[in-house]
Amino acid sequence: MELLCLEMDTNIRARPDPNLLCDDRVLQSLLTIEERFLPQYSYFKGVQRDIQPFMRRMVATWMLEVCEEQKCEEEVFPLAMNYLDRFLAVVPTKKCNLQLLGAVCMFLASKLKETRPLTAEKLCIYTDNSIRPQELLEWELVVLGKLKWNLAAVTPNDFIEHIVRRLPLPEDKLTLIRKHVQTFIALCATDFRFAMYPPSMIATGSVGAAICGLQLDSVNQSQWGDSLTDLLAKITNTEVDVLKECQEQIERVLESSLREGRKQQQQQQQSQRGTSSKGLEELDQSSTPTDVRDINL
Amino acid sequence: MMANVKWILSPLGKGPTRRNLFGPVDKVQLRADYQAALRKDLDEASRRWGFDFMSDQPLVSGDFQWEGVPGAKVPLLYRSCVLGKATSQRATQVTVSPKRVKAAPAKNENEKENVPENNSERCPVNLERTPRKKENGGLKRKQTNITDFYHPKRRFVDMRIKSGE
Repeated sequence: MELLCLEMDTNIRARPDPNLLCDDRVLQSLLTIEERFLPQYSYFKGVQRDIQPFMRRMVATWMLEVCEEQKCEEEVFPLAMNYLDRFLAVVPTKKCNLQLLGAVCMFLASKLKETRPLTAEKLCIYTDNSIRPQELLEWELVVLGKLKWNLAAVTPNDFIEHIVRRLPLPEDKLTLIRKHVQTFIALCATDFRFAMYPPSMIATGSVGAAICGLQLDSVNQSQWGDSLTDLLAKITNTEVDVLKECQEQIERVLESSLREGRKQQQQQQQSQRGTSSKGLEELDQSSTPTDVRDINL
Repeated sequence: MMANVKWILSPLGKGPTRRNLFGPVDKVQLRADYQAALRKDLDEASRRWGFDFMSDQPLVSGDFQWEGVPGAKVPLLYRSCVLGKATSQRATQVTVSPKRVKAAPAKNENEKENVPENNSERCPVNLERTPRKKENGGLKRKQTNITDFYHPKRRFVDMRIKSGE
C-alpha cells in the first residue's frame, strides 16, 4: 500500500474562537487566576547572590534570539521568562547555570505551546554545547518540581485579543497593532522591572503604547468616548494611574532600547568601514529609525 | 513577526545566537546540584505527604493515615513499571492511598500555586476504581494498531511506483 503524506510544513491554525473571545467570563477568569503565576519575590534582593539583573537581561536576550531564529510561537518567550523568574524566586542559582536554566525554560514553554517543539539537542547547540542534552533533561525535572508542574501560566499574550477586540480600532490596522503589542510584551519580558507586574497590566500597557506609538488615538479621536487609557483601564480592571505609569515605563524602555540600538549600529558601521567585509544588508540600513511608525516590524 | 524585532530589541545582533553566556559549566558541581535538588524535592514530598518514598513506608508523624493496598488492586497506571523490559513488579507492592485526611497540610508562603482547596472532598477513596479490561494482562501497554480494526487484505501493488526507487 502506498501512503503519501501531504502534510505541509506550515502549522495549521485554528480560527479565532468567538466562544472564547466574545464571552466576558474568559477575560474575567484570566484576570482572576493571573496572579497565581507571578514570581513571588523580587529575587535579586534576597534569594540570589551570584546573579545580577544585567545577567537576567543577557540570558533573556539570548533566549529571545533563539526563539526568533527558531520562529517560535509568540508566547513561548514570555512564558519561558515566567518559568525562569518563578524558578529564580525560590532557588539560589549560580551564574554559570543560568544559561542552562534559560534553555530548560524554553524547552518547557516550547513543548507546552508549539506543534513542533524545540529539541533538547538544538537548545544545547545554542548554548555552544556548554551543556549536554542529558543535563537539560535532568534539570527539566528539577525546574518542573519547583514550578509544581504548573506550566499553563497566564502570559500577557493571552490578553491581546481580548483587549484589542474591545477597542474601536480600524480593521486594517489590527495586524500591525498586534505585532507592535507582541514586540512590546517581549521587550517587557527582557526587563526585570516588569517581572512582578500582572500580565494583564503589561498587555494593557503594551496595547496603549502601540496605539499611541502608531498615533491611532489622535486620528479618530471622535471614536474614543473616554480617553484611551480610561477605556483600557476599564477592560482589564486596572487603576488608571497605575496603567498610565506602566505605559510610560514601557515607552521609556522602548526609547532607551532604540537609542542603544542606534549606538550599536553606529559602532557596527564604524568597525565595518574598517574591515569592509561584512554583510551589505547591514550597511544599507544607514539610519536607525527613531519613531516606532518607521519601524517595519 | 519576529524577523525585524531587532530594531526594537536592540542589544541583539552581537554576533551569532549560538554562544556560551557565562563561561564553562562545572559539570561535577552541576551533577551534585542536580542530585541535591532531587533529594530536596523528595524530602519535601516526604514531609508533605507523611511518607518515606525511599523505603515505601509511611512516616509516623505525618498528617495522613496510610493504608496498604496490594499492587494488583490498583489500576495499571499506578503500578511501577520499567519501560521496554518485561517488568518485575514487586510482589508486595505497597501502593497506598490516603484513606483519610486528618488535617490539611499547612500551607506555607511558597505553596501559593497548585494547592487544591479541599483535598478530602476532591479525592473520594473509591475514585481509583476504574474498570479495567485486562486484569492480568501484564504491564505491557499495547499501542492500538490500525490493523486492530480491520483485517488486512493482501493485494498487489504495481511495483513500478514503489517509493524510494
